[in-house]
Amino acid sequence: MGRPSRLGAVMASFRCAALYFVADPFWIVGALVAPTAFALVTYQILVIAGKPDGALVIVGALVMSMWAQALYGSGWATYQDRTLATLEPILGSPVGYVWVVSGRVLWNVVSGVLGAVIVYAILAFTQGVGLSSTQFEALVAIFPILVVSLAATGLLISAGFVFTRYATFYQNMGEVALYVVTGTMFSVALLPVWLLPFSLIFPPTWAVDALRYAVVAGYVGLSWGFVGDIFGAAVLTAVYLSAASWLFTKVEVHVVSRGDITAA
Amino acid sequence: MVAKTTLAPAPVKTRSLTREYRTTSRGLLAPSRMIPALDDVTFEIRPGEIFGLLGPNGAGKTSLVKILATLLLPTSGEVELFGLDVRHQARAIRSRVGLVLGGERGLYGRLTAVENLRFFGALQGIVGRESKRRIDEVLDVVGLSEAADRRVEEYSRGMKQRLHIARGVLHSPELLLLDEPTVGLDPNSAREMRELVRRLNQGGVTTLITTHYMFEAEELCARIAILNHGRVIALDTVAGLRELVGGGVTIEVECSSLTPAQQAHLRTASGTAKIITENIGQRTRLSFPAASSVSTSLLRESLGTSSDVQVIERRTTMEDVYLQLVAE
Repeated sequence: MGRPSRLGAVMASFRCAALYFVADPFWIVGALVAPTAFALVTYQILVIAGKPDGALVIVGALVMSMWAQALYGSGWATYQDRTLATLEPILGSPVGYVWVVSGRVLWNVVSGVLGAVIVYAILAFTQGVGLSSTQFEALVAIFPILVVSLAATGLLISAGFVFTRYATFYQNMGEVALYVVTGTMFSVALLPVWLLPFSLIFPPTWAVDALRYAVVAGYVGLSWGFVGDIFGAAVLTAVYLSAASWLFTKVEVHVVSRGDITAA
Repeated sequence: MVAKTTLAPAPVKTRSLTREYRTTSRGLLAPSRMIPALDDVTFEIRPGEIFGLLGPNGAGKTSLVKILATLLLPTSGEVELFGLDVRHQARAIRSRVGLVLGGERGLYGRLTAVENLRFFGALQGIVGRESKRRIDEVLDVVGLSEAADRRVEEYSRGMKQRLHIARGVLHSPELLLLDEPTVGLDPNSAREMRELVRRLNQGGVTTLITTHYMFEAEELCARIAILNHGRVIALDTVAGLRELVGGGVTIEVECSSLTPAQQAHLRTASGTAKIITENIGQRTRLSFPAASSVSTSLLRESLGTSSDVQVIERRTTMEDVYLQLVAE
């Protein structure tokens, strides 16, 4: 038999999550409704204000949809593992659970692109709005940073789902607040000053701001600009990944100590 | 010159194992407390044997299996698998152990058997061509090759249970832990499952099986431990356990009713053993271990010669043993 590898676990988990999505795509619909609705309403508001900006809205839909998937998909997957009792065979394997969750989180974040595609398609068909090739290239270039920063945050959050059966409750409470403080709907530069420190502790805040700098013409975001955003996103993502890795080790020990792996 | 011999460590060895659970606190009036699930459990499983674990619900069987699978930490005591400590060498143990939990859960229903096995196999380091080869092999062993590409949610309970076993043996473990693998299966599927366990064991896999079915334990296991209230109350071969109760002989009395005098005779004859009562239609069957002091013929005489009362001597079964040792 081969040796269990972390990369192998990430890839297997990514593939498994993708297969599950294809086999049962309905659960993702709920997570796409809010981003799509918010984006289309935002576009109408911008039209009324006389400043229609397709790029801004498409980026918003992309980020919110990816965030929704990172939040719901990752936590839900662990919750589902508890319910299906698949958490036991996974924790009973020689690779750490963090690697399994990493694969899922990556898939969920990437699958969030669907939200942006839907909004893009609607705007393109109804308003004739889209992205220029330069904007599209910039989006593709920043995309990996956005994915990793969201995945790192999703990973840290999903540790909570292994730690406690009540994580869904806490997630529901914090979901909208997270959307706001990380700037999914509008730039965090518009937030009250006292809220900014909370906002800046999340890696996606920095990555999203960088994305807007790169894609949205005339964008005014955080004062340190694109390069500062990229640097901040990279540092915070590294911190989150390290913290998630450490936390997963702890929660694994916690659940085998308490013996409450399977949902009642 | 003395030849050096190195003995392979036992697949399972526990010493004074205890496990306690903390109950959920319900406010100040009902603070949490510790409930023992396993209490001073000491036993060893020998290489290549099928070891049975019997006990009523809540006896601690599943807790013990989970500790051996490194999914639950012991509260105190020592637990070693292949000489490796479950607390500190869990990852190394997990590659050598296959866990099969009974029931319909534990699989991704929306995925096919192959997709399930590919995922769980990858977590054990089985990838690429090796993955395909092993998946084909184990699906063939458990008789699911034909249904390999069907979604697991379409499987019958028996098929799911066989898929559980396929997953458990996918990485060729040296020790297989089976927690009630035949629970809820129809007799035919249960028989197939036992045959499968026997075949895997013949292939060299040491096996621990927990079950509520006495005949299953009797049929499969080289040695059996009986757990009650978290303690091992008996551990021996099937023959040894039978001997433990009435020297392997059980007296069975079948009648419509018993007079007070007859009941007194029975109580004397059974000594300190429990009299197990079973109602069969209008008649009652009472059984207890044969005591050396009372012969069957003497008991027949003392109960009277009425044709209503039948007294027979028969070989003690595992069910007799279990009921004598465990029944309240």
